[in-house]
Amino acid sequence: MAKISIQNLTKRFEGQTVLQALSLTIEEGSFFTLLGPSGCGKTTLLRCLAGFNAPDEGHIFFDQDDMTHVPAHLRNIGMVFQDYALFPDKTIFDNVAYGLRARKIDKDEVIQRSFQALDLVGLKHLDKRLPAQLSGGQRQRVALARALVIKPRVLLMDEPLSNLDAKLRLSMRDMILDLQKQFGITTVFVTHDQEEALAMSDQVALMQSGQVAQMGMPSYLYEEPQNAYVADFIGSANLVPVKVVHAGQVEVAGQQLSADTTMARSGVELRLVLRPETLKLSPSRQDVANAVAVEIKSRQYLGAKTSYRVALQDGTLLHVEQLGNAQFSIKDTVFLSIPSNSRVVML
Amino acid sequence: MKPRIFNQLFFWPWGILSVLCLAVLAVFVVYPIGVITLSSLRTPDGGFSLSGFVTVLTDSKYLQAIFNTLLLSALVTTCTVLLGVPFAYIVARFDFPFKNWVAILPIATIIIPEVIVGQSWLLLLGNNGILTNALRSIGIDSPSFYGWGGLIFSMTLIYYTYIYLGMLAALRGFDGQLEEASMSLGATPLMTQFKVMLPTVAPAILVNALVVFTLVVGNFALSSMLGAQIPLLSVMTYSMFISEMGSSPVLQSSLSVVSIAMVAVVLFVQKKWVESKMVQMTQGRAPAPKRVRSWQSIMFTIFVVMVVAMSLMPLIAVFIGALTEARGPVMHWGQWSTRSLERALSFAPEPIINSIIFAACATCIGTVFAVLVSYLVVKKKSPISGWLDYAVVMPLTISGTVLGIGLVQTFNSGYLVLTGTAFIMVLCYVVRRLPFGVRNASSVLYNIPSSIEEASISLGVTPFKTFIKIILPVMKSSIFSAAILMWVTSISELSASIVVYTGGLETMPVAIFRQVDTGRLGLASAYGSVLVTLILVPVVFAVKFLKINLFSVK
Repeated sequence: MAKISIQNLTKRFEGQTVLQALSLTIEEGSFFTLLGPSGCGKTTLLRCLAGFNAPDEGHIFFDQDDMTHVPAHLRNIGMVFQDYALFPDKTIFDNVAYGLRARKIDKDEVIQRSFQALDLVGLKHLDKRLPAQLSGGQRQRVALARALVIKPRVLLMDEPLSNLDAKLRLSMRDMILDLQKQFGITTVFVTHDQEEALAMSDQVALMQSGQVAQMGMPSYLYEEPQNAYVADFIGSANLVPVKVVHAGQVEVAGQQLSADTTMARSGVELRLVLRPETLKLSPSRQDVANAVAVEIKSRQYLGAKTSYRVALQDGTLLHVEQLGNAQFSIKDTVFLSIPSNSRVVML
Repeated sequence: MKPRIFNQLFFWPWGILSVLCLAVLAVFVVYPIGVITLSSLRTPDGGFSLSGFVTVLTDSKYLQAIFNTLLLSALVTTCTVLLGVPFAYIVARFDFPFKNWVAILPIATIIIPEVIVGQSWLLLLGNNGILTNALRSIGIDSPSFYGWGGLIFSMTLIYYTYIYLGMLAALRGFDGQLEEASMSLGATPLMTQFKVMLPTVAPAILVNALVVFTLVVGNFALSSMLGAQIPLLSVMTYSMFISEMGSSPVLQSSLSVVSIAMVAVVLFVQKKWVESKMVQMTQGRAPAPKRVRSWQSIMFTIFVVMVVAMSLMPLIAVFIGALTEARGPVMHWGQWSTRSLERALSFAPEPIINSIIFAACATCIGTVFAVLVSYLVVKKKSPISGWLDYAVVMPLTISGTVLGIGLVQTFNSGYLVLTGTAFIMVLCYVVRRLPFGVRNASSVLYNIPSSIEEASISLGVTPFKTFIKIILPVMKSSIFSAAILMWVTSISELSASIVVYTGGLETMPVAIFRQVDTGRLGLASAYGSVLVTLILVPVVFAVKFLKINLFSVK
């Protein structure tokens, strides 16, 4: 268990800067997620932590220990890979025992600890199987047991759920979180799935071209996005071009509405962040405050909710979700009310 | 910055190993090629001169040999395509009696030593051959087997396998839905074959055709045994080497450089032009083979069985020859005797022992080196491993004859004298097989994800131990098949051996070649049958009992 400090980490591949003077701190025992689209540098950062990529500049500390140039096999990390990376010719038991044997641990203890780890992931009974005889979910559980059994200082997970089907992914999330809390192990989790990141993490760092775009608790990223990139990546959002009239007042498609303008600066392009589920449609203006007229363009009935595509008067299309069955028809003109704390952010 | 670059280059163990491997290749592959090239440009007194090339390119004797070689290569390549393509198409697309038996047998032609093929056809169709005699007894005078006819016939029956295997693989990877799409758009079945299927498999045919071309250019055994009076480059280079021994090696070197250049041009064309035309199938589900009946099935079966039977005929002929009573050059067909075999095994077993020892050494060294080099090239990319990648394919441009000449010229004197030692024989075999060994090992390594290595390292095992404990076990079966192929090609190698061997180093193929040369087909067959046995036993054992997919064909 360790606190991880990353200081000014820079990594270039063939002249291309993949990590750009990146600094962040990961608290001891926390579940920390590196989130971002492909190519944002999240995996490179994880591999720097693991010791598979050597940074060009900067430092990595586990607690007080400078790990920047420590070879990977001496870092005492547990790593879980996207493709499971089980040793194909070794049994499940031998896979789990591999790291313990490398540490020259006493034979009886290897057996006892390996079975204990397999028991934790519910696969004790499959110890004699080969990886090819297991399902994807089972393989990933073996990989998790193999990484945890060595009692690593940190647990690194590189998109461990992305090869699993949707249902399995949900149950694996729970298992990973349970084990992480039980061991209290500092965990760095890489994913491109924002829902996974929100659901699992204590802290999330959303990355953008080698830098941290915004970091904090999941609710902070969702509710208080610092810019349009964050608002767009976390959850779904309509990003509507706006002009600030004065503090707390914006102009959208020719109409004045109140909004949170604390993030707005003058002289830059601004966007109003409208989450589809926070918007409300109603047939008349009297029923709603802070509203603007829109035309219903299309609708999709989704069971628990109905999803609409509506157009502002200047033609801007917005995505709106309403609970329950469809109340409005295509070509209806209705009124869209927006929460007055909707944020204006920079593009 | 400085220590990091230092680390990258010399980090134990991969950096050092890369440098060592590169050094070995530089000394034993690159340097000999350089020596040949330089000595082709030298006058007897050590000055610089183009006289060697001037002679080769103006004297009609040499021009004729170059022309003949190109013509022979073109003719054989055409014949192999004409034979291999329909063969593969029939096997891939139709179901007929005995198909599964017959489909894998052509592979066996790859492991029959060329010297055996040449010798066997002489046993059957030579001046005193079984068939020749049989035909003569009923009053038919068959044309002489020596010359163009024999060359094209025997080479086609070996080399069509390359076209067959390449075409078969392409057809099996071909997405049958493309054909259905074409026909749903209104194209006739015939038009579909020509407009949709042919363009996608054509590059595969062409690549393998170029391989056949280079093999014919470099072929020594058949060219020399069956070529009779036709001047051919490889044979002429060899005889030049024999006659120039001791004097200035200008002409043998010039001829060698010409053949290196010819093959290099072909390989370059293959790399740059054909591979860019290769079509990637996004999804490949080959259409199921169509069941054929009645006359069609009989026709297909006869065609396929005939081709396979003819190409495997040498295997049978060599045993018949070995067990036939022979007195001097005269074979008494129909009179069985084990005398030739007894002579080979008890009175002159030296070639057998030599072959086994050299091939065993070459197998061990070659396999280890090929696995190591491909690991460095595939998994430990660095500027040095990039050079390694180039150096290992260089032997592809050198025929056995030229390699032998290069090694003899290079290691005849100076710091490292190898000429006349067993080591130079082993070296020939290792170098000749290296590109294939590396290619096979690399394809396996590409399919092993780096993550399993990283998993092992993250669990606290050093990179080198990870290679031993994780990578080697995963590669086990492909290493084994590489070793068997290395054994097979080493033990049957002739064209380099015949150049570098000296008294006491004679191997079986050399012995067979020399016996055939002096007309003693009995003793040649005896050695031949021992050689074939030593090849077939490990291959059958591996395929049958270890379930090893030696030739990556289903």
